[in-house]
This record gives sequence, C-alpha cells and structure tokens, in this order.
Amino acid sequence: MDAFVSREDLEKKQIFLILAAPANIRERNIELIKEISANGYHTIVVTVNFPYNILSKLYAENGVELATVSFVDAVTRNSIGNAENIPGIVRFVNNPANLTDLGIAVTEVLKDHSGKKVCILYDSVSTMLIYLPSQSISKFIHFVTNKLRLMDLSGIFLAVEKGLDPMLVSQLTTFVDTVIDTG
Amino acid sequence: MPEKKPGLGCIEVGILENALVIIAVLDKKGTVLAWNRAAETITGYSKQEIIGNTSLWRYLYPDKTYRDSVNRRLAEILAKKNYFENFETTIQTRSGTRHVILWNTKEVELDGKKLVIAVGQDYTHVRELDSFRETIIDNANVLITVLGVHGKVVIWNTAAEEITGYSRDEAIGNLGIWKRLYPDKEYRDTITRQIHEVFSAQQSFLNLETRVTTKSGAKKVISWNTRQITFGGGKHAISIGIDITEQRAAEEALVAYMTEMAMRIKQPVEIIRENLHDVAALVRAGKITPDETAMLLDGQERNARQVATNVQEFQQAILEKNRAIPEAYRKFLEGD
Repeated sequence: MDAFVSREDLEKKQIFLILAAPANIRERNIELIKEISANGYHTIVVTVNFPYNILSKLYAENGVELATVSFVDAVTRNSIGNAENIPGIVRFVNNPANLTDLGIAVTEVLKDHSGKKVCILYDSVSTMLIYLPSQSISKFIHFVTNKLRLMDLSGIFLAVEKGLDPMLVSQLTTFVDTVIDTG
Repeated sequence: MPEKKPGLGCIEVGILENALVIIAVLDKKGTVLAWNRAAETITGYSKQEIIGNTSLWRYLYPDKTYRDSVNRRLAEILAKKNYFENFETTIQTRSGTRHVILWNTKEVELDGKKLVIAVGQDYTHVRELDSFRETIIDNANVLITVLGVHGKVVIWNTAAEEITGYSRDEAIGNLGIWKRLYPDKEYRDTITRQIHEVFSAQQSFLNLETRVTTKSGAKKVISWNTRQITFGGGKHAISIGIDITEQRAAEEALVAYMTEMAMRIKQPVEIIRENLHDVAALVRAGKITPDETAMLLDGQERNARQVATNVQEFQQAILEKNRAIPEAYRKFLEGD
C-alpha cells in the first residue's frame, strides 16, 4: 500500500486533512505515525480522544518507537482530574474545549522540539465537535496551521469522513495543502 | 365665439330640470337665471334662494380663503379660454356637508345675451372610492407599486417607502429607483431579463424573489407578485412586494443550525461508538487495567453527556430563531 504521507511531503512541510471511516480512524492514526517515524520525523500527537497512556500502549503494540512520539493530551485530566506533565513526553491540558490552553500547549511543545524534524498529528477534528462548535474549531485550526507555516513544519488533521458540514470542509480545505480521503 | 342658441323650449327645460347633474345658467354678472332640481337636491339651496341672486358662489364656498383659491384657479383657466372642463371643487351644502363637484361650463348666446351654462357632476362618491382605494393601498403592510410605460413608477405606497427607504418623491415618475434598488448592473440585468421572459409568456408572475438594496444600504429579500393590467390606454403592471428578509434569514439560520447539529451528533456518535468498540477489544484482550478501562468508559460517558447537552442547546437555539413553532413542539424542544 502506498504511504499516505511521503518523505517528500514532509520535506515540503505539507499540511494535510486526512479523512477516514470511523472504524478506521485509530488504524490511520497508527499508520501515519509509523510513516512519519520511518521518514525520520518526530510526531507530536495532539489527542482529544484517547488518553496518552492508552495510545502509548497501542503504539508500542503496533511497533511504533515511542521515543519518536510526544503528546499533548486533552483527555486524561478531564477524566481523572490530575496528571503531571512529563517533560519531552506528554503535556496535559485540562479540557479539550479550552482552546487557549490547547494552543499554548501546542506552541510550547513545538518550541521544545524547535530545530528538529517534527510533524504534528491532530486526532481528531471529529472528537472536537463534541466540545466545540465548528466555527471555533475552524478558527483554532487556522491558528495552528498558521503556526505550522511560520515554524516551517508539517501537520496532519484527522477527521471522520462524511458528515462534516460542507462549510467546515471548505474552510479546512483552504487551510491545508492536501485533503486525502483514506476510506 | 359664443354659440347662438334658440330660446329654451319645453323639451330643453324638461331636460334641464330633470338632469341628474347640477345645471346653473348665469349671466355675465353672475346672476343665476336657472337652477335645476338636481342642483337643489345636491346643494340644499332652493330655486327661490338662488335664482336672481349673485351670491351663489358665496353659498357654495363659504370659506373665503377657499373661495379665493377657486377664483384664482378659474381666472387662470378663463384667461386662456372662455370655458372650463372637469374643474374640481368642493362645495359646502346648506346642511354643511361637503360634496366634490366636477364642473364644466359653456358660454352661449341667447336672445343677444351672453350666458354661461355651468354643469356640475357630483363626484363625491367617486372621490370617496378613490380615497378608500388610496387608503387601502397606503395602509397595506406590503409594498405596492404600479408601473407605467417602461417601468416608470406611478404609485409607491407607504410600505414601499418604509421597506426601501425611498420616498414617493424619489420613486414616482422615474426609472432611477430601479437602479438604486438594484445597484449591481449584472444582477439588475438578470432580474429585468427574468421579468421580461415571464411577461412575454404570461401576464403575471408569482413569488419572484429579489434582493434589493435599501437607501441605507441594507439588503432586503422581497417576494414579488406582479400582474399586467391595462388602463388609460396603456399597459401597466401592479406589483406587490412582501419583505421576507427576516423569514429568509430565519430559514438560513435554521438550515445552518440543522447542519451543525447533524454534524455534531453524527461525527461524535461515530467516534464514541468506535471508542467503545476499541475499549471492548482491549478489555477482551486483557491489554488494559480496570482503572484504564474505567477511565476510557468515563471519557465516553462524558462525551455522550456532552452530545446530549449540545442537542438541548440546539433545540433552544431553534426555538429562539423560530417564533412560529407550535406550542406542543415548543414544549418538546424545551425539554418539557
């Protein structure tokens, strides 16, 4: 199977919107990380869906080298109330609806990895829709994509295929370089 | 030149007496020589009071200011010709009621004397009907306009003024109003073409929606119903425009809410379903501890709760945007 994201894409600092069927979205997450790692890039996973400790287990099981991944986790503290940041590995955000905190966390993690070959993986736009209206999500993704372009970095936004408001899809399409529907 | 008439015979007297219009014959000094039955009936002044008297106009126009204005208008007409046609005045009858009279006069010569025959038609009822129609048009809460040749505005009611911001003076008698209402030439041409196409096939159109630009620059959606009519020897179009701006905005907002709600239910529910599926698989495979399982399930329970809250918020928003929702549905949407 061809890679969704090639070395050339990463070198060109491309930004992607990757769509997947609901049943495949976790699988895509893992495949993308493996592709990014295989190309010598570090992945910063921004998760608003599964907590960092579970994702770490799933990645390890699927042969992902955990040293090539770090996390911004907006789930754990929302579930258990308290979790300490682990420098270089995970930074926690209290609530996925708090876009200010999420933006600060993403900015700081990107700073931590400045000068390195980094790709950000955002999982997922669809989960954010639980906590935020599409307009706020669109503004936040605009903010993140601007930051990535300024810092000359690649990024991937995962979303469930179908069922997205055409207006939101149209906006997201203008923020990214490529939209891939992986099915 | 005044016409020379034969003396009044029985037939002429009979006609004069029984005509359904005021007929007064006056000499050059204004002395009334004849005053028919209709004149008595309409004005309330008898032959005895009027004939041989020069005060007819003082009786009919007791208000000096009004009488002077009538005299001025008469003088203007009589400076150009020795008769007048369809000269409209309002007389006051003996009982004090007012009647609109349409006057026509003719100068005749009888037995070497120049006389004036004044014929007055009681137009009160016609004018009342006109006034009634104008009142209806003016008080309608829809834009009503009548267009004459080449789309020139003939009638522009109060609602038209209120909706567009353009007064009657700005609208009536010119074509410029359409350029102001449709400042974008391309759009104006499209609308004009659509109207011509409809009119070439039929005499009317229903519910043609256009976006007009008001005097203040605001955009309004108007639904037009127009019918071609013929009067005064020319084709006219009567257009009724309903301001549906708020209705359209509400519909668009409703569509936006429904789309957002559909997306914010479908996508999260699919995510929650797959998350629960994955949790079950992880539990079955013994890959996660009971604490981790509880944390994942708590997360999905929180997600589901949030989706329910979102739905409640959407219902509230729909209620606020749509006042026309029936009470039973309103209560349901309010969560009662």
